[in-house]
Amino acid sequence: MFKNYIKTAYRSLYKNKGFTAINILGLALGLATCLLIVFYVVDELSYDRYNTKASRIFRVNEDLKLGENNVQYAVAMPPLAKTLKAEYPYVEDAVRLKNAGSFHVKKGDANIIESKMVYADASIFNVFTLLMISGSSSSALVEPNSVVINETIAKKYFKNTNAIGKIMTFNNNWNLKVTGIIHDVPKQSHFNYDFFISMSTVPDSKSNEWLRSDYSTYVLLKEAKDHTKLAASFPAFLQKFSGAQMQSELGQSIAQFEKGGSHFRLNLTALTDIHLNSNLSGELGPNSTTQYVYIFSAIALFILLIACVNFMNLSTARSSNRAKEVGVRKVMGSSRKHLIFQFLAESILITFVATVIAIVAAVILLPFFNQLSGKEIVLTVDSLKWLVPSLLAIVLVIGSLAGSYPAFFLSAFQPIDVLKGKLSAGFKGGGLRSFLVVFQFFVSILLIIGTLVIYNQLNFIQTKNLGYNRSQVLVVKNLGELNQQTNVFKQALAELPGVKETTMTGFLPTNGWRNTRIYFKDATYDQKKSLFPQSWQVDADYIPTMDMKMAQGRNFSKDMQTDSSAVIINEAAAKFLGFADPINKTVYQSLGGDRKGTTPNVKECHIVGVVKDFHFNSLREKIDPIVLTYGQNPGALAIRVSTSNITGLMGQIKDKWNSLSPGIQIDYSFMDQDFDASYRSEQRIGRIFVIFTALAIIIACLGLFGLAAYAAEQRTKEIGIRKVLGADVSVIVAMLSKDFIKLVCIAIVTASPFAWFVMNKWLQDFAYRVTIHWWVIAAAGVGALLIAFVTISFQSIKAALANPVKSLRSE
Amino acid sequence: MIKITNLEKFYRTEEVETIALNKLSMHVNTGEFVAIMGPSGCGKSTLLNILGMLDDPDEGSYVFNEIEVAHFNERKRADLRKHNIGFVFQSFNLIDELTVFENVELPLIYTGVPTAERVKRVEEVLDKMQIMHRRNHYPQQLSGGQQQRVAIARAVVNKPKLILADEPTGNLDSSNGNDVMELLTDLNEQGTTIIMVTHSEHDARYSHRIIRLLDGQTVMENIMV
Ligand SMILES: Nc1ncnc2c1ncn2[C@@H]1O[C@H](COP(=O)(O)OP(=O)(O)O)[C@@H](O)[C@H]1O
Ligand SMILES: [Mg+2]
Repeated sequence: MFKNYIKTAYRSLYKNKGFTAINILGLALGLATCLLIVFYVVDELSYDRYNTKASRIFRVNEDLKLGENNVQYAVAMPPLAKTLKAEYPYVEDAVRLKNAGSFHVKKGDANIIESKMVYADASIFNVFTLLMISGSSSSALVEPNSVVINETIAKKYFKNTNAIGKIMTFNNNWNLKVTGIIHDVPKQSHFNYDFFISMSTVPDSKSNEWLRSDYSTYVLLKEAKDHTKLAASFPAFLQKFSGAQMQSELGQSIAQFEKGGSHFRLNLTALTDIHLNSNLSGELGPNSTTQYVYIFSAIALFILLIACVNFMNLSTARSSNRAKEVGVRKVMGSSRKHLIFQFLAESILITFVATVIAIVAAVILLPFFNQLSGKEIVLTVDSLKWLVPSLLAIVLVIGSLAGSYPAFFLSAFQPIDVLKGKLSAGFKGGGLRSFLVVFQFFVSILLIIGTLVIYNQLNFIQTKNLGYNRSQVLVVKNLGELNQQTNVFKQALAELPGVKETTMTGFLPTNGWRNTRIYFKDATYDQKKSLFPQSWQVDADYIPTMDMKMAQGRNFSKDMQTDSSAVIINEAAAKFLGFADPINKTVYQSLGGDRKGTTPNVKECHIVGVVKDFHFNSLREKIDPIVLTYGQNPGALAIRVSTSNITGLMGQIKDKWNSLSPGIQIDYSFMDQDFDASYRSEQRIGRIFVIFTALAIIIACLGLFGLAAYAAEQRTKEIGIRKVLGADVSVIVAMLSKDFIKLVCIAIVTASPFAWFVMNKWLQDFAYRVTIHWWVIAAAGVGALLIAFVTISFQSIKAALANPVKSLRSE
Repeated sequence: MIKITNLEKFYRTEEVETIALNKLSMHVNTGEFVAIMGPSGCGKSTLLNILGMLDDPDEGSYVFNEIEVAHFNERKRADLRKHNIGFVFQSFNLIDELTVFENVELPLIYTGVPTAERVKRVEEVLDKMQIMHRRNHYPQQLSGGQQQRVAIARAVVNKPKLILADEPTGNLDSSNGNDVMELLTDLNEQGTTIIMVTHSEHDARYSHRIIRLLDGQTVMENIMV
């Protein structure tokens, strides 16, 4: 019996090749897209879960509020880790990580820049599941100057993983002993390093300072539920350990501090929440957000729905043509059950074929998708474990859903009605089908508007005046390598033709250093009136090189002796301080450290200028107050160039570099590229959106194409009569298109306000954003109409051009 | 009015080529009532479709009102057709979704007659066909005879010079059939040229002249007296 179902199903599908192809193709396309998104989402959700103790690991964060400024840090105080472990028996272990920056690692005669380096406590291998290939996980990072490297690095420098005891030389002068080799850190980890250097190497790591936070600190609890206990004990803990330092440094107790509206707290983030739910200051790497996981999941669902809708629409449309077959079968004695099974078998067969095609397509497309999404998803045997059953479930669910309507609807008819043709009238109207078409275009229009808004915002970011000029600026990042020679290098470059200006500082608007300090507005040192701005040390060439503009006052000057205590503030800081005329006003920079008597240790600074606001954070955030202080900071050298022969100039710069620092490569980048890199995630999202939107539209149009064909087929006779009576082709095309266009119009009217609402929500994330103009909505609407019209036209023009004699002859 | 010479029409399907019209020549004068008879498949409908400019011949000449139309393109043919020719079919070919009134109104819409004029002309013709009381009914609600009256009303509403009728009584009983023939005769007497395909010798007697076809060729012409 089952074989008979399959056979009839196959023949019936074969007879309607066109419909079957559209049906299968649409569904396969939808499923393939869906699969890719599912891979993406699963990948996002699996971060840090490779750790066997993941549920018991928590990161300790610091929450600092000073006056109006509240900053959440993903880092904590140097002595926190060991103190927590000593203090609480349920803290099984604790570990600190601290980014080590980049070093030149010697390989033969060459020096290679390696930047994925971190200092780690020896306990790291007890907390995180980083498996050793060789070496002792308990002792590898105990001794100073030890390094644990991963497999890739071992193979790169030693050609094998047999490197225990070997020496690696960093920056030509620092020798580290390889004490362990681990498997590469899984891609789904919130940190990703190649080199783990023993924390004991860093003298600062033994610091007992409780008022500064710069170590990523993780605790491993005996039981996951202990985290509430630990969080609850933090206030008392801080009182006990940092109270004294607070008193001596800020001149007040924690209680007084809190009374002043400020606070200083600790809290916990579960390890598995870090990737999607943590975006604090001082994260070890850029994290993702749940927002995109939700958006993509919604898109996947939408696309799947669109594809299923197509499938249902085309199946029901086609099955009405088979009403007669059903009637005959019933007269011949087929039971209702038999007919239901027949339709379901057909539908499930199609779904199955579509799913197989979808899997093949998804596997083929995966590398492109990886490139697009910046992921490195690989399918493993493990992923098949959940994939195969869920796909089978999908086949059954979609297949029976899509098949159920024709199956139950048609099979319920009395054969006599069907044969008399009574069925077709009710079936033709297709209220459900109309609704489904509206739904498909609703989603398509939503996606079109979404894409347009995202691209508008990206374009806005790219072209917005940032208050400085990022083009034609070269940044030499490892200036520190030149040691005493930094000024010589700066001088030498200034003389090159094509170099306009140079400034020496690590504090650059695009991903440079950041540093915050407390400034008091007056000599009362009132915390409530304190400012907690970025405090950047720059030279007199900074503002001209960055092409920033002064709003008031003057730039630093080499000729002014008093400028050693001069500061330039930005407009945001000026507004915060509230001076009517900030020029020559005094502010007090807190220097921290020990107090002298009752006043804090401060430096008096006078404001010489106000620089126009410039963006140094993402455009998601408002421009924060900033104070520029005058001095030499060898963090980096920014060079404004003006030449058409950039490669030639680069050659000269490299020559100068090499003459001063033999053996170490110059590490440089262009400022505009650095800037673009900081919006890569938005760009990526934009691109993914375009692709998904295109796919959704293609699938929706496939469905529309099929339905239009069906409608034209239903009306061939009518078209013939009208043509005989003198109707023009254009009249017929309009007649056939009208109904569908009406549906698309309904979709436009309903989708536009919804899309407007949703996209406005998305834009709220940006402190600086575009408004959604009416033309965005109009463009989406017109676009959807046009696409729909072209799709329908294929069918309606074909029908309108057909010779009426043929359609009327069939009597 | 109509003069065709050596008209040929072939139908090619994958394996066979059918000669539907084989060097057929004939003429019809203005005001004539001509019946075309012949066995099934001899090419009667094909001939009528070509005369009605729904189809074009493969070879030969077709002069309509002194204009050679054999090689007119679709648009020109459609234009000539909608102003000059009305059609009546065996199976009525009314549009199920439109009322009697709307069905009859269609040709006027396509020739661009203004609304007020349309209503007047449709009412006039419905009156004449005695189906005015059915104007708001749908075709399914009418008997075969009534449906064919609507079809004839639709064919004449534009006051065509030529009416082509393909077995107009084929689906009707004899009393309804006779009514239809009376209607056609009336129209002819008022000056409309009529060419009618029929299987019935009885119906053919209403005409002035019978052209008999066999395998796409004229075999005999009888003049009625
Ligand atoms: N569209 C077509 N394709 C193929 N053959 C056709 C087509 N139309 C008519 N014929 C053939 O042409 C011949 C004449 O048909 P037709 O004019 O309809 O005959 P009649 O109306 O006299 O019964 C027949 O043999 C028929 O099979
Ligand atoms: Mg015929």
